[in-house]
Amino acid sequence: MEKTIKWEKDFDRVLTLARAEKKMVLLDFFNPL
Amino acid sequence: MGAVTYPNERVVEFIKRHMVPIQVLFDSQPLATNFNIQWTPTVITLDEEGKEHHRTIGFLSPEEFIPSLMLGVAKCHFDRERFSEAIAMIEETLKDYPKSDAAPEAVYMQGVALYKSTHSAEPLKEAYKRLQSEYPSSEWAKRAQPYRLL
Repeated sequence: MEKTIKWEKDFDRVLTLARAEKKMVLLDFFNPL
Repeated sequence: MGAVTYPNERVVEFIKRHMVPIQVLFDSQPLATNFNIQWTPTVITLDEEGKEHHRTIGFLSPEEFIPSLMLGVAKCHFDRERFSEAIAMIEETLKDYPKSDAAPEAVYMQGVALYKSTHSAEPLKEAYKRLQSEYPSSEWAKRAQPYRLL
């Protein structure tokens, strides 16, 4: 099992993956500070 | 979120099974403007066309985050009239996380999704009864009050 979340960075790629895998998208806006 | 919730094994597994995750800085353009980001963390559930269906702001523990995501996935299905998929995810939410903050809304959504898929008002009345019984102080119990008359 994956031990960490494999975060994507490119929004267009995420939508392509979501369509291909028939999944929803989790979009997280974060502040590193 | 990054220190507590995202490393959680159950969170990792749920996201891997149901979602494609993307993480961006709060001021990343054009996304921050397009989604009107004013505070962090903001977590949004989108469908595969990029349309928003659910949003949370602020920290959530793993025990609250997973049912929140489940509700988001259910809303994606519901909003596109995929009622059987929405109901299945709601039932899983209520089975696994009945004490979560997402649960009362899930009960309400379950009633509405069942009503829209069966055209029977009985599920709305059942949702009202369950909310009054199990979540009487929730805002969703108040929102369901008109269904007592059905």
